[in-house]
Amino acid sequence: MSSSAASTPGGAGLSPAARAGTRQNRVRTLTDRFATRFVTASGISIIAAILAILFVIAGVAWPLVLPARARALPAVVLPAGTQPLAVRVDEYREEAFVATSAGLLLVPLKGGAPSAADLPALDGATVTSARSVTGGLALGLSDGRVLPVTTAVDVTYPGGKRLLVPRVTAADPLVADPAGRPVKTFALAETPDGPLLAAAVGPREVSLDTVTETTSLIGGTTREESRQSLALGSEGDASALAVDDRGQDVFAGTTAGKVVRFDRTDASAPGLAESVPVNGDGAAVTLLGFLNGDRTLVVGDAAGRVSTWQVVKDDSGRRHLARMHDFAPHGAAVTGFSPSRRDKGFVTTDASGRTMVRYGTTGKTLLDLPGAGAAITGVTFAPKADGIAAVDAGGKLLQWDVRNPHPEVSWRTLFGKVWYEGYQKPEYVWQSTGATDDFEAKLSLTPLIYGTLKGTFYSLLVAVPLALMGALYTAQFMHPDLKALLKPTIEIMAALPSVVLGFIGGLWLAPTLERTAPGVLLMPLVIPFLTFAAIAAWTALPASWRRVIPHGYELVLLVPVVLAGGALAIWIGSGVESAALGGDYRTWLVSALGLSYDQRNSLVVGIAMGFAVIPIIFTVAEDSLASVPQGLSAGSLALGATRWQTALRVVLPTASPGIFSAVMIGFGRAVGETMIVLMATGNTPIMNSSLFSGFRAMSANIAVELPEAPEGGTLFRVLFLAALLLFGMTFVVNTAAELVRLRLRSKYRTFE
Amino acid sequence: METATMTPSPTTPTHAVSMDARSAPASAPAADAPPLIEIGGFSFWYGPKQALFDIDLRIRERAVTAFIGPSGCGKSTLLRCLNRMNDLIDGVRVEGSVRVQGQDLYGPDVDVVDVRKRLGMVFQKSNPFPKSIFENVVYGLRLQGVKNKGVLRDACEKALRGSALWDEVKDRIEESALSLSGGQMQRLCIARALAVEPEVVLMDEPCSALDPIATAKIEELIFQLKERFTIVIVTHNMQQAARVSDETGFFMLGKLIEFDKTDVIFTRPKQKMTEDYITGRFG
Repeated sequence: MSSSAASTPGGAGLSPAARAGTRQNRVRTLTDRFATRFVTASGISIIAAILAILFVIAGVAWPLVLPARARALPAVVLPAGTQPLAVRVDEYREEAFVATSAGLLLVPLKGGAPSAADLPALDGATVTSARSVTGGLALGLSDGRVLPVTTAVDVTYPGGKRLLVPRVTAADPLVADPAGRPVKTFALAETPDGPLLAAAVGPREVSLDTVTETTSLIGGTTREESRQSLALGSEGDASALAVDDRGQDVFAGTTAGKVVRFDRTDASAPGLAESVPVNGDGAAVTLLGFLNGDRTLVVGDAAGRVSTWQVVKDDSGRRHLARMHDFAPHGAAVTGFSPSRRDKGFVTTDASGRTMVRYGTTGKTLLDLPGAGAAITGVTFAPKADGIAAVDAGGKLLQWDVRNPHPEVSWRTLFGKVWYEGYQKPEYVWQSTGATDDFEAKLSLTPLIYGTLKGTFYSLLVAVPLALMGALYTAQFMHPDLKALLKPTIEIMAALPSVVLGFIGGLWLAPTLERTAPGVLLMPLVIPFLTFAAIAAWTALPASWRRVIPHGYELVLLVPVVLAGGALAIWIGSGVESAALGGDYRTWLVSALGLSYDQRNSLVVGIAMGFAVIPIIFTVAEDSLASVPQGLSAGSLALGATRWQTALRVVLPTASPGIFSAVMIGFGRAVGETMIVLMATGNTPIMNSSLFSGFRAMSANIAVELPEAPEGGTLFRVLFLAALLLFGMTFVVNTAAELVRLRLRSKYRTFE
Repeated sequence: METATMTPSPTTPTHAVSMDARSAPASAPAADAPPLIEIGGFSFWYGPKQALFDIDLRIRERAVTAFIGPSGCGKSTLLRCLNRMNDLIDGVRVEGSVRVQGQDLYGPDVDVVDVRKRLGMVFQKSNPFPKSIFENVVYGLRLQGVKNKGVLRDACEKALRGSALWDEVKDRIEESALSLSGGQMQRLCIARALAVEPEVVLMDEPCSALDPIATAKIEELIFQLKERFTIVIVTHNMQQAARVSDETGFFMLGKLIEFDKTDVIFTRPKQKMTEDYITGRFG
């Protein structure tokens, strides 16, 4: 019609009625065109909106995979003849403190000439070794003393101008060797009992100096220094030392390539606990140091190898050193080390001038910075971990800006087993925050993915059989009047807010289940048994009795039967519990199966989330079962099939694509469900398949942690990565389901 | 109604018996042979609406009986009553009797499933199951619990030969039935009905969705099938009724107006209404 109207352009000479018709056609064409474009545009904008969400999520997570970057800043040339030993910078990297053989050098990094700090406590001695310690530097002197020096920068505003005033305060020196021999290498830690100093002065021994400060109520502070000598015997000379700030162990690296641990459990008589070779060729240990938190020991040797170790307890409770990671080696002897004070990162340097940034948790080397060629003698990670300063034998102070916001993230830490500090072996752990600043973030997504799948599995285990059997009965056998009542009722179930379900699940169902768990687990056996028995009894009744209930409404009679079945199961369950399970099933679970019963567990979630998933599976499956052409079931019945045979052999296979979709939609719903798993699981990120333990799902994890994750931080981005993963999971499952569904549909395509 | 006891009817004859009983030439059955199906005083209601009024009809063995009449005249309803397919509709009610070899299909001890085995049905719209050709044909046998692959294969071949489909599909009986053409599908549905060796094949407008060539094939098939089976066919197409049937019943508004030999109905109908319909004055 519209084509004929279009073929008579102008419309001149047409009757008014015909002209009106032409106009009407034009309006219709325009409306049609507008509708087509509007629908197309709406469809495209929906896809665009989803993609935009995806890109936003991916954009936030993206920086996690970016590599660390460093930018070299101009080197500062130290005064001629300076032999730098160690370096330290302030928080804003404006002032450097360089320990040199002559004392301490103050080096302004934003311009200005270096100047020597005034240190009267040196008392004419020269500095033979130096280390960065908490709050400053410690200098090992040629006269057998170790001098701790506090370094700080005071900011003043004289006349409105910002002025930096470096401040250096020497504390009381510790005497490592009363005989006055020079301190070759030392380690100093501030233990709860007072400073603890280990120093190498003589051959084959470590001198241990403990300082006990007691503050009496009336007098001042009394300071008592006691000295012990730890013999290394045949292990060689001490070439590197480390003590942890708990004062628990003293570690000595030897010239024979071993790490010797002295246990200070009995502080009055520390004993040689073990001697562990750290390399195969006996290259001398040149470096020992702790990562932030003083748990992980970094060992470097003369051949350039770097490894991390920690003291673990074996099954018998014996403590021993265990190797955690081997890092990419340096080409030359390891000379310097500095831990990050924010995380488990550290930097090592070598005799050829190279500097490497590494991360303790991942075992990865993040940056490899070439130097000027001269051996680096001291290095420091800036307090904010945003820069590195190093001093080399050529008298230069090298600087780098470092951008490395997410060093703790790698494929292994996200998805693999990681050996964390304080753990006996590598494990999957999610523990994003801790009580202390030196906490090691544990960001394994594996337990969360596992939790999501576990919750989904148990809820589908509850929902799929109930929903599908219900759908089959409703579509094939139920009286239409009853169906008209029942189907909307079940669909209303879907409208129940999941927070209500989670609330009921967590606060009512969980304690109820705890009381009746054996009975509830018997329900899947008892209720069907009682139902079949009731049906058998019903069919055995005389027909005249049965006619009392209108045809098709016999189903209603089953409601009390099912309720009675539930009650009977609980009664049997409590009987079984007292007779066979020793009166308390929870004790029995622990002793017989080694399972503990958490009140908020997978059974609770299975039931609560199953309840949430049933309506959607039921509705979609029922629709597809009901839409199987009548002709097919009629054809089957006409061949002498019973209705049950017809339902199983013809209707079910023909509806299988729809049923498959129903299950997959249910799967998607369960994977993404948040409130129920949040409220009813206990949110413990553990990995075990037990029905009686809780879990933490990815969605709940995001809900729990995102409000407290600092924006832009690693946790924040990892949570977005989890969201992306959730998105990806549902996307992959839905796509795969759609492909399978299309295959099934072409296989069971019904002839129209 | 469906939950009648499962006792099989003791009077169910096997096909072999009926083959033995055949003495007269199949092409010209004796007019005075006892009828296979006797419908007496049969009325039928869909809820409050009466669809059939007091039908009396006798269907002869190994003959083709056609039901004709305008839409809504009740001819399909009657056909479906013959194997109790109408039971599936809620709120139906019957009066009178349908006797097959003397046994009332609506008697109290009748197993509906057994009735449908004895009176197979082919529908207006071909309805092959979404399974292979083979599985379609042996569906009825599998329902009866036949598992022997050899028996099933033989029955499948026999049924497909019986419906003149064997030569066309013998190389691809494992393929989906939905790959067949419309006419082939309808013959597959006939083969499926034949495979369970029914006594009667009820055909509900089997050619209404087919093109003339496929229709011709089905009509030819019906001609062959009446040598072994009793056939009742409902058709809108009067030429088809004239071509394939031995006897014809004309229905009008739920009543059987006239029932006689086909050539009598089409050449010398006794009722004015029949004549008007056949000559196309209404319909």
